[in-house]
Amino acid sequence: MIPSGGFVAALAGFDQMTIARLKWLLAERTPEQAFAMATGALAVSKPVASLFSRYPDLAARWRAEGKRHTPERSWQRCVDAGVAVVMPGDTQFPAQLLDDPRCPAALFVRGDLDVLDARRVGIVGTRNATQRGRETASEFGYELAVAGVVVVSGLARGIDGAAHRGALAVEGSRPVAIVGNGPDRPYPRQHADLWAAVAERGALISEWPPGTQPDAFRFPLRNRILAALVEVVVVVESRERGGSLITAREAAERGVEVLAIPGSLHSRASAGTNQLLRDGATPATDVTDVLVALGLDQRRAGRARFDSRPRPRDEELSLLEACRGEPRTIEGLLLLFDMSIAETAMGLARLERGGWLRETGGWFEAVDQWADLA
Amino acid sequence: MFASISSAVLFGAEGQPVNVEVHVDKGLPAFNVVGLPDESVRESRDRVRAAVMSSGASWPRHRITVNLAPSRGRKTGSGLDLAIAIGVLVAGGSIPIESVRNLAFIGELGLDGSLRPVPGVAPMAGALGDAELVVPIGSALEARVVALGRTRPAAHLREVIEALMGDLPWPDREPEPLPVADEPVSDLSEVRGQPLARRALEIAAAGAHHMLLIGPPGAGKTMLATRLRGLLPLLGRKQALEATMVHSAAGAPLPPSGLVQRAPFRAPHHSSSAAALIGGGSHSLRPGEISLAHGGVLFLDEIAEFAPKVLNGLRQPLEDGTVRIDRSRMHAELPANVLLVGAMNPCPCGGGAPGACQCGDAALNRYVQRISGPLLDRFDLRVNVNRPAVDDLLDDQPGESTAVVAARVAAARDLAWMRQGGVNSELVPAHLEQFAPLESSARLLVRHEIEHDRLSGRGYHRVRRVARTIADLRGEPSEVVLEQDVAMALRMRASIGRPSAIGRVA
Repeated sequence: MIPSGGFVAALAGFDQMTIARLKWLLAERTPEQAFAMATGALAVSKPVASLFSRYPDLAARWRAEGKRHTPERSWQRCVDAGVAVVMPGDTQFPAQLLDDPRCPAALFVRGDLDVLDARRVGIVGTRNATQRGRETASEFGYELAVAGVVVVSGLARGIDGAAHRGALAVEGSRPVAIVGNGPDRPYPRQHADLWAAVAERGALISEWPPGTQPDAFRFPLRNRILAALVEVVVVVESRERGGSLITAREAAERGVEVLAIPGSLHSRASAGTNQLLRDGATPATDVTDVLVALGLDQRRAGRARFDSRPRPRDEELSLLEACRGEPRTIEGLLLLFDMSIAETAMGLARLERGGWLRETGGWFEAVDQWADLA
Repeated sequence: MFASISSAVLFGAEGQPVNVEVHVDKGLPAFNVVGLPDESVRESRDRVRAAVMSSGASWPRHRITVNLAPSRGRKTGSGLDLAIAIGVLVAGGSIPIESVRNLAFIGELGLDGSLRPVPGVAPMAGALGDAELVVPIGSALEARVVALGRTRPAAHLREVIEALMGDLPWPDREPEPLPVADEPVSDLSEVRGQPLARRALEIAAAGAHHMLLIGPPGAGKTMLATRLRGLLPLLGRKQALEATMVHSAAGAPLPPSGLVQRAPFRAPHHSSSAAALIGGGSHSLRPGEISLAHGGVLFLDEIAEFAPKVLNGLRQPLEDGTVRIDRSRMHAELPANVLLVGAMNPCPCGGGAPGACQCGDAALNRYVQRISGPLLDRFDLRVNVNRPAVDDLLDDQPGESTAVVAARVAAARDLAWMRQGGVNSELVPAHLEQFAPLESSARLLVRHEIEHDRLSGRGYHRVRRVARTIADLRGEPSEVVLEQDVAMALRMRASIGRPSAIGRVA
């Protein structure tokens, strides 16, 4: 006897399956009946009949898919990956999503959905983030976790990952991730450790069953779930057109407050956040701003991290200071200071060794104490 | 009625002696060439006949057989024309056989009997031993590089015939100057700003380290690379001869002196085929760009746009310093000791300051993967080149000139030579401890990089080799490599792609 979750997982894994189609299939039908309808074993309901009439090839396509994605196999995959199938009727289903105009038909979850009962803040941003941006994300993730807030993000490269690393650095924190592919497939692969940690300590949520590939179209969709699940969204860095702006828009439509971190006019990675600020988002210059937005006591408990880095030498301080405002090349630094190239290279190497600077593609950026998590 | 005339054909960058045997016999008039001639040699029958008649000599109305000995190995090129013509005339009785003793003939004939230069006269002359050489006047300079004092240039077949008949003395002409190849070397002082890249050029020249320049369009990568030529020392006698042979064989212009002495600079386009870059292709195995750059710089602009197969063909020559071309019946070795300089953008969009790149992961990965790891390993120096600052562009203060830097380079090369008898790029890991020991603070710096996964085993050796060169360039013969040398070397190992997300190992 296969649980009905297996039927939903099988259906959601079909080729050309969309959220809307899945909902039509499940409308007033049990998952078992829906699967039978989709594969031609049962007379179709009215919405499904009209769907099949609009797309003549779809019925045949799904009949074939039904042989590939059998409920048995799909359920086994869920069991193997430790994934629970949660549907709107279930008690664990997040209440925040129930009233949502685009409520998911089902969620595939690793971990514990009860964590969503706590206060929740989403931290999102670009994948091509700057060093400073990632550090800020880590810092916010850490500080919010210290304050007992659940950090929700997308586990993508750049800002998302940094926010999660920051949150996970706090003992006992329970971060939540909304991902755009199957919950069993870490993507990007470098974040496999993060996936495991989030699933273990908090919850890792997807709209798609195990085995689903990370297709580009799925990521904007997951952004709406993220926006619906949180109380406040913080956009750390974003391009003028980026996925995080979609999240911000979805949040605004749902009455979720959007905070943006102001950035330099000259940084492309901040073009989107600065645009948000111009459009009326609240600036977040400190994690306190986020706590205020949540209505929490902004006086944070003294669990600040201890900065273990050796103090730079005096002659290196000016180099470090110059790299704090904006990224600098070695040529740019030579123009600023009356130092030889050998001295400058030496100072940069020492600062890099001490963990004060980081070099990317010939550009040096000052790093703060969050760098190890960013 | 038989004659045997010495000549030569070209094979790779080497000449191979060929005896042109001509037999004239009674029979229906015919003219055949045997002994594995290829199409270009077979065509010479028509040219030779027309040229002989244009010169006023008579064509034997008999059966003529030409044999190119030794008959193994395919003969190619038009350089045998003159030898065939003389052979026919000797065998036909028009020219006394004693007059061609200890003479060798190389050259292409025009229908009017004029003598035209052919590529590869220098190596062919080298293969012909002590024989006196009759060559087209346009090839005389090349021939004199190896056969000084026994070269007899001629402009026309008639002149050769008259001299051989004893009617007139050998024409005594100044050889025509060859097209000038030694364009003025661009000076380093024209480069504004770019202190890091200038330093990298100096290091590359001093240690013979292959160099990869990574930077956005307009940063001046090509400008920098072309300045490397003037920093390299002049070629030694042996290398100059090898380079001259290759230039001659490829038909590339030679400098007025005839000898390639200044380090060559070759910049093939990224659409080049493997045969164009490495050599080979036809029966004569034409030298490729890497051999033409022998002793100098091979500059591959937009290196990521070269076909991966072509780039991988560079690996063996870079390792051995020679190109080996093997065909079923022929094997050739061409010299290919080059300083490889590559230039590329940091990513498909051109990149820039952190956060400016807008490449997708997939596009970036594809770009990075176009350069295979083993090839990337060859670059001891990987330098980020950024667009020069506006202040530097407007600054009227010229930077150091090529002459000043070249002097430092020469001194550093001498130091390396006295210490280990070679350039620093050839230091193998086993010798690094002996020839490039690190002071303790320098050791700490490198150790930190390794511990933080920012330096691989190979990268470690690269940094140490480069630091050795930097220490040599300081001018004082210091045994130990200092912390500041390592710090500078660490600035010369840029990564391609987006390193921050994955952690960098260079």
